[in-house]
Amino acid sequence: MASNHLTGIGSESKQLATWYFTFAAILFGAQLLFGLVAAIQYVMPGFLYGILDFSIARIIHINALVVWMVFAMFGSVYWLLPDETGIETVGIKIGKLLFWIFALAIVIVVLVFLFIQVGPASDTTIWFITEGREYIEAPRWADWGIVVVALGFVGNLFLTGMKGKQTGIVTVLMADMIAFAGLYLAGMFFTDNISVDQYWWWWVIHLWVEATWEVFVGAIAAYGLIKMIGAHRQVVEMWLWIEVAMLFGSGILGLGHHYFWIGTPEYWWEIGALFSALEPLPLVAMFVHVLYDWGKTQGAEMAKEHTDEYQAKSVITNKPAFTWFVLNAFGNFLGAGVWGFFHTLPQVNLYTHGTQFTAAHGHLAFFGAYATILVGMFYIAVQGTNGIKVLKSTKLSIWSTSLITGGMLVMTVALTIAGYVQVLVSRAQMGATWAGYFDGQSGVWFAQAMDWRLIAGVVVFTGFILLAIDLLTTGKNPVHKR
Amino acid sequence: MANKSVWSDNRFWQRTATWVTGFASVLLIWLTFDTSAQIAMGNDQDLQNKVTKRVPGPTVINYKITYEMSAKRGLEVPIIGGNDGKGNSLFQVKEKFFGRDDYSEDEARALLHLGKLGEQAKNCMDCHTLLGNGAYYAPDLTKAWLDPAWGPNGAMQALTGKNTREEAMAEFLQHPGQYPTHARMMPNLGITAKEAKGLVAFLKQMSSIDTNGFPRNFGKIKGAVNGK
Amino acid sequence: MFEAFTDVNPSFFGWLNQGPMTLTIFLHTVIILPMIWIYYQEKKRLENEN
Repeated sequence: MASNHLTGIGSESKQLATWYFTFAAILFGAQLLFGLVAAIQYVMPGFLYGILDFSIARIIHINALVVWMVFAMFGSVYWLLPDETGIETVGIKIGKLLFWIFALAIVIVVLVFLFIQVGPASDTTIWFITEGREYIEAPRWADWGIVVVALGFVGNLFLTGMKGKQTGIVTVLMADMIAFAGLYLAGMFFTDNISVDQYWWWWVIHLWVEATWEVFVGAIAAYGLIKMIGAHRQVVEMWLWIEVAMLFGSGILGLGHHYFWIGTPEYWWEIGALFSALEPLPLVAMFVHVLYDWGKTQGAEMAKEHTDEYQAKSVITNKPAFTWFVLNAFGNFLGAGVWGFFHTLPQVNLYTHGTQFTAAHGHLAFFGAYATILVGMFYIAVQGTNGIKVLKSTKLSIWSTSLITGGMLVMTVALTIAGYVQVLVSRAQMGATWAGYFDGQSGVWFAQAMDWRLIAGVVVFTGFILLAIDLLTTGKNPVHKR
Repeated sequence: MANKSVWSDNRFWQRTATWVTGFASVLLIWLTFDTSAQIAMGNDQDLQNKVTKRVPGPTVINYKITYEMSAKRGLEVPIIGGNDGKGNSLFQVKEKFFGRDDYSEDEARALLHLGKLGEQAKNCMDCHTLLGNGAYYAPDLTKAWLDPAWGPNGAMQALTGKNTREEAMAEFLQHPGQYPTHARMMPNLGITAKEAKGLVAFLKQMSSIDTNGFPRNFGKIKGAVNGK
Repeated sequence: MFEAFTDVNPSFFGWLNQGPMTLTIFLHTVIILPMIWIYYQEKKRLENEN
């Protein structure tokens, strides 16, 4: 039944997925490019001053990040739906129309950010230029556009899930995506009260990134394990449910770790600190457990079957994607988990909140938890659309993976060191004043860390170029088994 | 499977996931109601009646604000209109804001509204942090109003040629390019005199929010870095 | 046994926040306890299936 959909050929849902992936990859490039601009400005503050100031470079850096991930996530769902449900996605025509509306809206928003940048202090600015709230700066008109597109996407998913085979993965995705779309509404109002503003703002940011997105990643990892190494669905889906329980159990109230210092009551100290601590454990647990289980039984058997040509054959059907999925399991644990736990306790956070420490965590977490697995999905799509049975690693894929991952690790370490300087000098020593801030920023360790960050950024960008070339060319490469 | 363990049973984990997610959501909604009531903005009546609110009303700009240690809380709290000696606000001592300390509820609210709109319209959060959230390219603004740099002995009044905090801040906001304080300069964002006044009112009101002691030791320690 | 309340406004959750961990242990307990009930219900179901 599902075999018609094993490849991307002939499935409209998978075709739409490739559109989403392509646009996501372009935005990924834009994200890195504007990240480079911002990194240069830390080292050379006069760079593009008055033309493309840090604030604008950063808006595009972080908004492109969020949007490329949302695009790649929508794409991933459109890709896996036919495989999971056994039918073509319902309402695919509307899905395609919504893709163009979404893409066009993003282009307009980015152009306005780039060329109009700021407006007068009025509602018109909030509606048409910028909302000025980190990560969700998109003006209000675009918010409504996003709501319409998200509703259409959730509609596609629900109608397909209910008509076709409703696997555990699809069930989790259905519940997760409706929460994901609904939460965006919490960020669509204006208030004079900055505490109330940030309270609801975190509903969008945290409950996306540390709850619904993480569960989404769990579902994608489950799909990938079944797809790439033929792991038993029963085992994978059991772990998926454990993940959902642990991620939502800790992530929903883990929201409290953003409510330490924004005017909210003291009781959030305890709720935030201890609920958020367990967030990332289940992700690495599922991956390691499933691999262990699989290796002991299926993997060993499969290897036996072709002992004679074992060197030439691999039991993994998509090497580059699998590499990215493995990076995801550990990147998530390290970036979201270890780096997150570093500063999730209020005693520590009192000094680290709002320093480069947060930036270090943010960079490794977004990369480790989301970028990795979504790039993995790009490779699964390349394999599917080209009808490849076994997609092998190429020199380019190995180089790009190593450069991107290595660059991100160096960048994270550099930002962490910068964060230490800031915490010790600006915060503990100087009490976070204007003078304290700049004393911290001009320290030698801080300045050097920023140099290293920029170098690492260039390495990551180089890796991205190689990745883009590999994604575009590897499908036609004759080394793969068809 | 004769003795299938509950621990490896999908249905058990599915039900557990549903329960945990549902109950955590209910708890969060309950907590949200509780917190929302506590962080609702106060009004002029509260200030007159000496009621301590986590987020005081806009007319707090008529009062002197400081940031001092509270023995009861064990952390620094905003003190409005004088300290009773134990870290509680007296709501008595007034302070002129652009020459006046009698802003009505409506006037103060209009200023704060303009300031908050301005904060968003100028993308402040993409360089600065507010309540610790935002970007890390420029100083935190949570207690910027209380920063010694803008005070009588601070560098900024002399630099801008103004005699009060609010005027020095408003002048800087309108022409940041003229007052380079660091190699990393704030860009000119087309802030008008009216908008600057609103923004300073917003900053003053924000400094009166009870942030559970964040940032710690603000402006208290002169520092010993590089022998300063 | 009970600590004096220190936060600005009294509230149910603030009252449960008696010191390090009291509130979070309470919340974790009420979330985890019903799992025992789910466990025994599922155990019974599995036994009946055999």
